Amino acid sequence: MIFLNINNLNVSIEGKKILNDFNIQINEGEVHAIMGPNGCGKSTLANVLAGNEDYEINSGKVIFKDEDLLDLNIEERAQKGLFLAFQYPVEIPGVNITPFLQASINSKLKNEKKPEIDNISFAKLLKKNAEELGISIDMLKRSINTGFSGGEKKRYEILQMSILNPALSIFDETDSGLDVDALRVVTEGINRFKDSKKSFLIITHYQKLLDYIHPNYVHVMREGRIIKSGDISLAAEIEKSGYQNF
Amino acid sequence: MTFENNFINHSKDYIFSANETLANQREQSFRKILKNNYDKKNNESLKNITISDLSKFDYFYKYENKAPKVSVLDSINYEIRVVNGMCQNFEDDNIEIRNLQNYDFNSFLDQDNNNSDDIIIDLNKIFLNSGIFFNIKNDTKLNIRLIHDTSDNFTVFQNNFINFKKNCEINFEDHFNLSHNTINNINYNTKVEECAVVKHNIFQDFSSSNKLYLTSNTVCKKNSSYNQNTYNFSKGFVRNFHNISLNGEFAKASLKGCFFLKDENICTNKTNIVHNAEHCISDQTYKGILNHNSKANYYSNTFVSENAQKTEGYQLSKGILLTDHCSFFSKPELRIFADDVKCSHGSTIGPVDETALYYLRSRGINKNEAMKMIISSFIEEDLQNLDHQARIIISNNLTNFLNSLSDD
Ligand SMILES: Nc1ncnc2c1ncn2[C@@H]1O[C@H](COP(=O)(O)OP(=O)(O)OP(=O)(O)O)[C@@H](O)[C@H]1O
Ligand SMILES: [Mg+2]
Repeated sequence: MIFLNINNLNVSIEGKKILNDFNIQINEGEVHAIMGPNGCGKSTLANVLAGNEDYEINSGKVIFKDEDLLDLNIEERAQKGLFLAFQYPVEIPGVNITPFLQASINSKLKNEKKPEIDNISFAKLLKKNAEELGISIDMLKRSINTGFSGGEKKRYEILQMSILNPALSIFDETDSGLDVDALRVVTEGINRFKDSKKSFLIITHYQKLLDYIHPNYVHVMREGRIIKSGDISLAAEIEKSGYQNF
Repeated sequence: MTFENNFINHSKDYIFSANETLANQREQSFRKILKNNYDKKNNESLKNITISDLSKFDYFYKYENKAPKVSVLDSINYEIRVVNGMCQNFEDDNIEIRNLQNYDFNSFLDQDNNNSDDIIIDLNKIFLNSGIFFNIKNDTKLNIRLIHDTSDNFTVFQNNFINFKKNCEINFEDHFNLSHNTINNINYNTKVEECAVVKHNIFQDFSSSNKLYLTSNTVCKKNSSYNQNTYNFSKGFVRNFHNISLNGEFAKASLKGCFFLKDENICTNKTNIVHNAEHCISDQTYKGILNHNSKANYYSNTFVSENAQKTEGYQLSKGILLTDHCSFFSKPELRIFADDVKCSHGSTIGPVDETALYYLRSRGINKNEAMKMIISSFIEEDLQNLDHQARIIISNNLTNFLNSLSDD
């Protein structure tokens, strides 16, 4: 099975070219990290994969689990097992976290032709996963991201991931805005979730997160494409002397 | 039928038709409409409607023997059925209800009239065929459900008086059970006396061949509170014009409206709050969700007179436009003549928040469901204080509205 293959992807927004013949291959169970200067197109990549309709796909191909990803709409991609932890999670006042997340998991289960999860089992699952991530039960009664601190928003993204159980998780700067303890809690959550079937694409500016998560590959991205790939030592190099050597 | 024929053929059918003073006033209003003598430019009552639309209708009214009922369901729950504007006369320790009689003529003329250029009020006066007095006695605690039943083709021109006496605590509900092709021009004159607490919920959910023009003038005395919530799910035309005068210190009024429009429907709303006394609070929020080619407008006025120090006045309008063809025109106005006041207004009207939609969909929720979640959340906060039965009515209507979104 081809898990994720992005082949010569070109993307623009409002006529401005952002992804430039972008290529990457991610296999089942692999953890990839992407680092790159501000504005090089990392969030664009993440959002194009998630199906955001603001971008124009000029050319290229994306295969996800043997299927043409670009043929699927936003919700179909999520149902197929793609998850994006947003750089800036949206506040949606009035939409309560708990029923929303239950509806999410049920739409995925329905798509997999599995029985839906009932209220009680869901409440148990949610409570367990929330506790592991240090999220209070009170927070689960609130509206999506509404009034959450920066760190709480990031934790809530990880909670959603742990509930939805995606095959491919993309983290867009999930470590930004987290204090030291929160970073540990979140990475522990991610590590608990890791297994031989799950893959990750981690966008970050800092080596610290990668030290916890141990990516198999680190890629350096500039001007809409990967210009160098290697192991975690690349992250150390960037931390030391920035991007000018790339 | 033409307006003239309606007037001439039926002039004996109206209430107070024998009274000369009123006959003269009617005649004047009649001429005014005939001559089209309205300032159309700044006339909220004529927004999206024309005088000819309003004056051309088949006047139809008859008194029926079938007496409508007042049912005392238990010690606090009353159900009042009004059939074609008429009601059963009724009195007990809590409430007095009776149809308008000729001897009520003076209170009819006495009513505050700050609707001088309002053609709907003129029509109400000209064709007045029914009216009810409600007297809710001191210290009463009641839930009152008023059901307006209007039969096929009836044109009801009704003028009601409600007195909420001192210290009463009342939940008052209006329901409209309209048949086909009805016109309902209903005017409420309401007094909320000292320390009375009134919650007034108005449910509008009738079919497209009916029209409702609902106007209310409410006077709030010292320490009273009047809380009005209007929910409009109607497919037919609705006009909601609500005026409040806060005449006693520490009075509170809140006017909330939610409307859900589709197809070619039009809904026109106006609120007017006058602060005449110190330490009063007013709060107005109108929210709409519009689909297809529907149109809404909302004029909101808050007037703070110079002796109304320590006033708090808030206005807000919010709208979600589901297509490029619908429109929601909102015009808030604050006129303040006192110096120690807290007032604000705001308005947010636009399409569904695309980033919210994207976020929900990115978690596997399909577009339609995501849309429903966003729309439900938009009015969720307005449903918090409703009782169980009212919530059921609203949530059924909301479900119907949301399901109709998927039909497109
Ligand atoms: N909606 C948009 N309209 C116009 N330009 C956009 C839009 N979204 C992104 N861009 C531009 O595309 C480029 C890439 O943006 P992107 O958000 O993908 O960068 P990034 O690598 O994630 O940066 P950062 O590290 O700051 O998060 C930037 O120059 C940005 O200004
Ligand atoms: Mg970014």
